Amino acid sequence: MERNTHKNGLVNLLIALGAGVAAFAAARYSHSLAGLVASVYLGLGALVAAVSWFQTRLEDRERLERLELDELTRSRTGSTLFEAKDAEAFPARRAREQFERFFVPIFTVLLCLIQAGGAYFLWRWLAKPGTAATLQEPMAGMFLFFLFALVLFMVGRFGATFARLRNQRLLRPSSSYLLLNALLCAVVAVGIILVQSGFPRADLYVAFVLCGLLGLVALETLVALVLEIYRPRVKGKIERPLYESRLVGLLGQPEGLITTAAQAIDYQFGFKVSETWFYKFFIQAVLWLAPLQLAVLVLSTCVVIIEPGEQGLLERFGKPAATGQPLNAGLHFKAPWPVDQVYRFRTEQIQSVQVGSVPEHDDHRETVVLWTVSHSREENFLVANRDSAALEQAGETGGKRTPPVSLLTVSIPVQFQITNLMDWAYRNEDAPALLQDLATREVVRYLAGVDMNHIMAGGRADASAELQKLIQRSANERALGARIISVGLQDLHPPVKVAPDYEKVISALHSKQAKILAAQADQIRTNSMSAAAAAAVLDQARAQRVATEVRAVSQAGLFTNQIPAYQAAPEVYRQRQYLETFARATGGARKYVLLTTNTHDVITFDLQESIARDMLNLNIAPAKTP
Amino acid sequence: MKKNPLTLAVGILLILIVGLLLFVFQVRQSEVAVVTTFGKATRPITDAGPHWKWPWPIQKVYKFDQRVQNFTEDKLTEGLTQDSFNLLTSVYVGWKITDPTAFFPRFAGGDDPIVEAERVLERTVANAKAAVVGQHPLSDFLSPGQHNQFAAIEEEILGIVRRDVQANDYGLEIEFLGIKKLGLPENVTQSVFERMTSERQVLISKSQFEGEAEAQKIRSEADRKAAETLANAEGQATQIRGKAEAEAAKYLAVFQQNPELANFIFRLNALEGSLKDRSILIFDQHTPPFDLFRGGFGAKPSTR
Repeated sequence: MERNTHKNGLVNLLIALGAGVAAFAAARYSHSLAGLVASVYLGLGALVAAVSWFQTRLEDRERLERLELDELTRSRTGSTLFEAKDAEAFPARRAREQFERFFVPIFTVLLCLIQAGGAYFLWRWLAKPGTAATLQEPMAGMFLFFLFALVLFMVGRFGATFARLRNQRLLRPSSSYLLLNALLCAVVAVGIILVQSGFPRADLYVAFVLCGLLGLVALETLVALVLEIYRPRVKGKIERPLYESRLVGLLGQPEGLITTAAQAIDYQFGFKVSETWFYKFFIQAVLWLAPLQLAVLVLSTCVVIIEPGEQGLLERFGKPAATGQPLNAGLHFKAPWPVDQVYRFRTEQIQSVQVGSVPEHDDHRETVVLWTVSHSREENFLVANRDSAALEQAGETGGKRTPPVSLLTVSIPVQFQITNLMDWAYRNEDAPALLQDLATREVVRYLAGVDMNHIMAGGRADASAELQKLIQRSANERALGARIISVGLQDLHPPVKVAPDYEKVISALHSKQAKILAAQADQIRTNSMSAAAAAAVLDQARAQRVATEVRAVSQAGLFTNQIPAYQAAPEVYRQRQYLETFARATGGARKYVLLTTNTHDVITFDLQESIARDMLNLNIAPAKTP
Repeated sequence: MKKNPLTLAVGILLILIVGLLLFVFQVRQSEVAVVTTFGKATRPITDAGPHWKWPWPIQKVYKFDQRVQNFTEDKLTEGLTQDSFNLLTSVYVGWKITDPTAFFPRFAGGDDPIVEAERVLERTVANAKAAVVGQHPLSDFLSPGQHNQFAAIEEEILGIVRRDVQANDYGLEIEFLGIKKLGLPENVTQSVFERMTSERQVLISKSQFEGEAEAQKIRSEADRKAAETLANAEGQATQIRGKAEAEAAKYLAVFQQNPELANFIFRLNALEGSLKDRSILIFDQHTPPFDLFRGGFGAKPSTR
């Protein structure tokens, strides 16, 4: 039995080592990142297997030493030769104890560092932009990893069963690692299948998951090391190896969980559910069900359903199908993968490529799109400027001319549809990128020959139609297999830096119009007021004329009547007329009457007071209330 | 160890499949391949379908996309036109692998031979482009009225690149070449912005001053018309006043009956009229009727 244990440990070590090297080579061969990470697990498994194998050998030696001692003790009873101290009498036991006391913890620390360091550096390496690469020979890689999984599973399963049945605890860590590695190799193979099924980053994601798992295993090892310090030591008790990972054991042998669950179900139901025929059938059928599922999976690849709006290209061993026609929407049968493969394309879907500025899709959509506010990653195109060219030619003095060029920001979505799938898929490596280049070239060429003001105004619709024609012609020349549906000049304006001045021109035009209108209003007012003033002058003159005439008539009439009165009493009449007129005329005037007789006195009048008083008499209009 | 026949069968099947895969490889319609024997390219494969090979490490298969690769210069490069204008240009090139055995050894050094090939093409294209741009004036690139020489320039660059590629036997062929982008250096771009702004300023000033001039014209015309209207009105008014004087003069003969009285009355009227507004009058005691203050009841009134 000892020899078997010993041998099984060695087999585990050799298988782990061989599978590790082979997995590394297969991963390099197929450029599988997940395979490379899995080979690190295999390397760790080989390390653990080596240590456990060495520890097994030490325990075997100790057991042999004890047997020899027992035999000698029985043959030479009472001899003092074997009554020496333990250290001298049991060198193998002492070696094993020293190994467990010093080497195992140091190795476990080292293992923890390798696991943590591996997880950290692999993660960083995977996160680098250039790490992800296209798989090479994916089918070979996939089958190789399935093969590794099978071999590791068989050997690991045997080792784990043997360890459980014979109570060989030291065989358990390496067997657990072998089973976990079998699972990881299968996962790598599934990752490669996913890549082939249209999920190109599946291999990378699997690699990341394996890295994360490695980090968890490192954390568990660290926790085990910390707990080891506080663990109570009981002499004679068989202990679990410090480097044995429970997580690895659980992942490698998940049936342990099933057994525990079955026991719990038995307890809950009150009878042995785990011993019913269905349960037993299920457990036995699992081995058959897995290959059956695989077969069903392969058979399912014989049927392909092309969705509405799609077309598919059928390839047999990489060659297009003999019909030379793409598969249309509907149900189709084909040979299983990897003999036949179908590549789908959305041929009826309206697709688009963008020329020029790429509109920014932000959450806060603006309700108004202005020239003066940047709403895209601006890309300026050179555009001819006829005004500038004419200006320069007119003012040319023989020196270097300024180029008649302006800049224009354009954002042109070119919408297209695939019309010839064979051309689209097989002629060009990246047909959408080529279409974008062709469209950009036509736009650049067109703008370089068209006047800026023309295209921004009336020539816009013509430009759209012309560009569509030009791009379609270019696409046809390159046999792109696409129909250009529309070319939208949706965002065509001067660069944001200059755009405000364009708006100012419009503002100036409005200002000009406003000034003219204001002047016209003034003109109307002036003309009206002058007409009114003229009318007033004429009316005044007419009134004066009437007044003059009437006054002349009335004065003549009065005078005719005054003559008899005057002739009757000339003096009295004159005095009366004088005094009446004096009283009327001076009634409103301020009067100073000098009664002094001393004519030599200088009389001073303070007329300021009078003026001030006059000013007090002024009527001031009340202030207007707002 | 109990031998499970199913497990064994699956294992054997897997080994068979892996063995088959090690000896067979598949080339797609869109691919070409090179089989190397101990690292040396020995067999080009241009037909799609399954092909045999010895397993690794004896033979190894390198596959390349045989469709037209679209290589676009990711940056604009500056050049000088024939008339010494700085111009930025970028082009795109369509190329494909025509001879995988010639292509493989020249570009298989890096991780991706296609990228390596495009790196070499980038230099070739840059040289050809610089040479051709220098032979054309700016007007061949930019000219109002669709008179630019784009197609001719592209043909010239394409010719140089093709000659270079053929001379070096890269195992690839240039299918097409096009100018993708034209630009101006940043400093020049700023100047163009300034010029465009100035052009707008010219239009702005034109509108502003045209507006002011037009407004001034309208106002002055209105003023002129107003002055004319008033002058005409004044003239008519004068005529009316003259007629009034003529009419009034007919009654002057009445006053001639007693000129002394008439003058006295006119003077009284004038006195009354002149004292209508605010006046300050200073009288002495001799002025009637203030001579009453002297006590002279029967004093002769002054007629001054």
